[in-house]
Amino acid sequence: MGTAVTHAPATEARAKDSEPRHGPGTPPRPADLKRRGRRENLAGYLFMSPWIAGFLLLTAGPMAASLYFAFTDYNLFDAPRWIGLDNFSEMLGDPRWRHSVRVTLWYVVVGTPVKLLVALGVALLLAQKRRGQAFYRAAFYAPSLIGASVSVAIVWKAIFSDDAIVDRTQKVFGIDAGGWTGDPDLIIYSLVALTVWQFGAPMVIFLAGLKQVPRELYEAADVDGAGKLRQFWKITLPMISPVLFFNVLLETIHSFQIFSSAYIVGGGAGGNACGPADGSMVYTCYLYVQGFENSRMGLASAMAWMLLVAVALVTAVLFWSQKRWVHYEEGGR
Amino acid sequence: MQQGKGVERRAVLKAAGASLAVTGLGVTATACGGGSGPGDGTVTIRYAWWGAEDRAQRINKTIDLFEKKYPKIKVKTDFQPYTDFWKKFNTQASGGNPPDVFQNAVGFLRKYDANVLLDLHEQVKAGHLRMEGFRAGLEKFGEIDGKLLGVPVGSNSMALVIDKPVYARAGINPEMGWTWDDFDEAMARVRDRTGRAGDSGMYGVMYLYDLYLRQNGKAFFTEDGLGFTEGDLTRWWTKAEKGVRSGLFADPKKVAQIKPKSALSAELAGSEFTWDNFTVRYTSEGRSEYGLAPIPTTDGKRTGQYLGSLMLSASKRTQHPVEVAKFIDFMVHDPEVATIMGYDRGVPATTAQYEAYRPTDPVNKAIAAYEESLVKAGVLEPITPHPNGADICEAAFLRIGEELGLGKRSVGEAVEQFFNESKTALSS
Repeated sequence: MGTAVTHAPATEARAKDSEPRHGPGTPPRPADLKRRGRRENLAGYLFMSPWIAGFLLLTAGPMAASLYFAFTDYNLFDAPRWIGLDNFSEMLGDPRWRHSVRVTLWYVVVGTPVKLLVALGVALLLAQKRRGQAFYRAAFYAPSLIGASVSVAIVWKAIFSDDAIVDRTQKVFGIDAGGWTGDPDLIIYSLVALTVWQFGAPMVIFLAGLKQVPRELYEAADVDGAGKLRQFWKITLPMISPVLFFNVLLETIHSFQIFSSAYIVGGGAGGNACGPADGSMVYTCYLYVQGFENSRMGLASAMAWMLLVAVALVTAVLFWSQKRWVHYEEGGR
Repeated sequence: MQQGKGVERRAVLKAAGASLAVTGLGVTATACGGGSGPGDGTVTIRYAWWGAEDRAQRINKTIDLFEKKYPKIKVKTDFQPYTDFWKKFNTQASGGNPPDVFQNAVGFLRKYDANVLLDLHEQVKAGHLRMEGFRAGLEKFGEIDGKLLGVPVGSNSMALVIDKPVYARAGINPEMGWTWDDFDEAMARVRDRTGRAGDSGMYGVMYLYDLYLRQNGKAFFTEDGLGFTEGDLTRWWTKAEKGVRSGLFADPKKVAQIKPKSALSAELAGSEFTWDNFTVRYTSEGRSEYGLAPIPTTDGKRTGQYLGSLMLSASKRTQHPVEVAKFIDFMVHDPEVATIMGYDRGVPATTAQYEAYRPTDPVNKAIAAYEESLVKAGVLEPITPHPNGADICEAAFLRIGEELGLGKRSVGEAVEQFFNESKTALSS
C-alpha cells in the first residue's frame, strides 16, 4: 500500500520536470533518481505518519499485548502471570465455550447463504430496466446503511419480543411462541433475520457484477434457444462468480465477528449478555463475558486469537476452493 | 505537484505539521483525563453507581446539595443497571481510569481489595471522614483485614416483596415465622385465585438460597469455597423445576423479555425475593402497591437473615482522596441527604440520617416497620463470608437457574455446571 501511495504522484512529477533534460522516453540518470526517490519516500511516509502512528498505537500494539495476555492469567487488576497454554486447554474443555462455537457456526452457516441468496435475487430484479429503478435500489440498500447501529438492534428486539408484532402475527396463525427473544432456540433466528435484512451491501456488489456481463452472450444464447434459467446457470452465474466469491468471503468473515446486534438483542440493559440460556451467545459475546464480566482478560485474549486463527483458516479454504468454481476471464476484455 | 519542488517541500512540511498536531492533541487529551479542570482550585471527582432511574434523580439532588456546600468540588455522575455497572467499572478500572468514588457491596470487597480500593483509614485519621455515629455496628461492614474499603450508606435485608392487591385477592397474609410449606401453599393459591404466577424466579437468587442454607446451619460461601453440597442444590433446584412447570413460578421466557423491568412490576408474578428497599423502585416502576412479607423459615423461627449494606468506596487511583473522603462523609452524615434519599438504598446507616428521615409515605413506612420487625423478632445474625469470585458465582447461579427454568438443562446438568463454574471462579 505504501508504495502505491508514494509513487503515483511522484512519477507524474518526475515525468514533468525530467522532460526538458532527457527528452521523452529517455530514462533519468540513476544517481539522480535515487536521491529524488529517497526524498519522495520520506515525503510519502510523512504523509502517512498519522496513519502509521494510529496503526502502531491502536492496532499493532494492542494486538501484541493481547497475544502476550493469551498465555497469561490476567484479571485486569493484578500483574499477568504466565501460564503457557492453560487458557487454550481450559477453553476446549469448557462446555459454554463449545456452545458459543456451535451458536456462531449456526449463525454463519445459516445466515450468510440466506443473506447472499436474497442479495442476489434482489440484484437480479433490480438489474432489469424499469421505471423507478433508482428509487428501488436506494430503498433496498437503505437497511444496510443503518443496519449495524445499536438503535436498529433495539428496534429488532422490540419487534421479536413477547406480544410484539411478530408474536401477534404468529398468533393469527395459531402459533404461540411467546416471543423469539425470550426463547433460547428462536432468538438466534431473530439475529439471522437481522443480518439477512441488511443484504444491501452484497446486493450492490452483485448488481455491479451483473451489469458487467456482456449483452452479446445473452443475445447469442437467445439465438441458440437457451431459456432464462439455462442462461442464468450457464452465463450469469459463471460470469459473476468472482463477485460471488468476493461476497461469500466478505460476508463469512463478517458473520464470524457478529457482536453488537447479538449483545443488544440478547441482553441489553440489566440482563444476561447472551440471551436466555445463552441462546444468542455467539463467540464474541462469550469472549466479552469472560473478559469484562468475569475479569479473565487472559482467557478472553486467547479466545480472540483462536477466533482469528479460525477465520484465517476459513478464508484459506475459501481461497483454495475458488480454483474449482470461480471463473476469471482470460486476458480480460 | 504540478509546480515542482517548492510545492512539494511545502506539502511535506504541512504533513509533518499535521502529524505533530495529531500527536500533540493526543498528549493534551491524556493530560486532561487525569487533571482537575480549571486552575482556580476547583476539583472534579467522578461518582458512579448502579440503580434505576428514580435513584439517579434522588442522587442528583443530593449532589446539588453537596456542590453548594463545597463549591470547589464538582461531581460528575454515571449510573447503570447492576450487571452493566460492573462491566463498565472493570473496563474503566483496568484502563487505570475508574470513577473516584462509587457504590459498592460486600460481595465485591475481596475482589477489588488488593489493587482497586482505597484504604480510607488515612482519611479518617486526617479528619476528612467521620466513622462515628453508625447504627447497628455498620461502621465495621466495609472493613476487610483491617482496611476500610467501604463506608455503608444504608442497611437492608432480604424480604419477600409482594404485590399487595394480588396477595389480598388470594387471601394470604404471611406472618413472621411462616414456613416453606406455608409458602408453597401460598404460591399455589396466588396461581389458582389470581391467575398469576406466585413468584418471579426465586431459585436463581443467590442471596435467598444463602438464607435457606443458613436456616439449616450452612451458608452459600465459606472463606474459600462453596458451603453446600451438590445434593443440597439438587434438592433446591428439583423443587424449582416442578414450580416452573406447574406455573407457581413465572415463565422465565417472559421474565427475560421484560428486562430491565422486574417480573413483579411487570405483573408476571405476585411476589419476588429481593432486598427490602426494592419496594421504592417497584413503586415508581409498576402500577400496583407493593409490600413486604417475611422470609419463610424451616423451623418456624430462624430466617437466616443478616443486614446487608450498600457502601461508598473510593478508588485507589483517585488523585483527590481528600475530596472523595469529604464527599463520602457528606453523603453518609448530612441529614438533608437522608430526607432526599428516603430508604432507596436501605435504612440510612448513621443515626443522624436515620433520625432526620421519618417516613411519611406508606412505602418507606413499610420498610421501616419491616426492619423493626426483624430486630424485634431477633432473627438477624452475623453475615457469612463472601470470598473473591462471589460475584461470578452469583451471576452463574442466576444464569444457570434461568437455563433450568427454560428447560435447557436438567437438574443434574445444572448442578454440575454450577459447581464447575464456581470452582473456577473461586480458585482464581
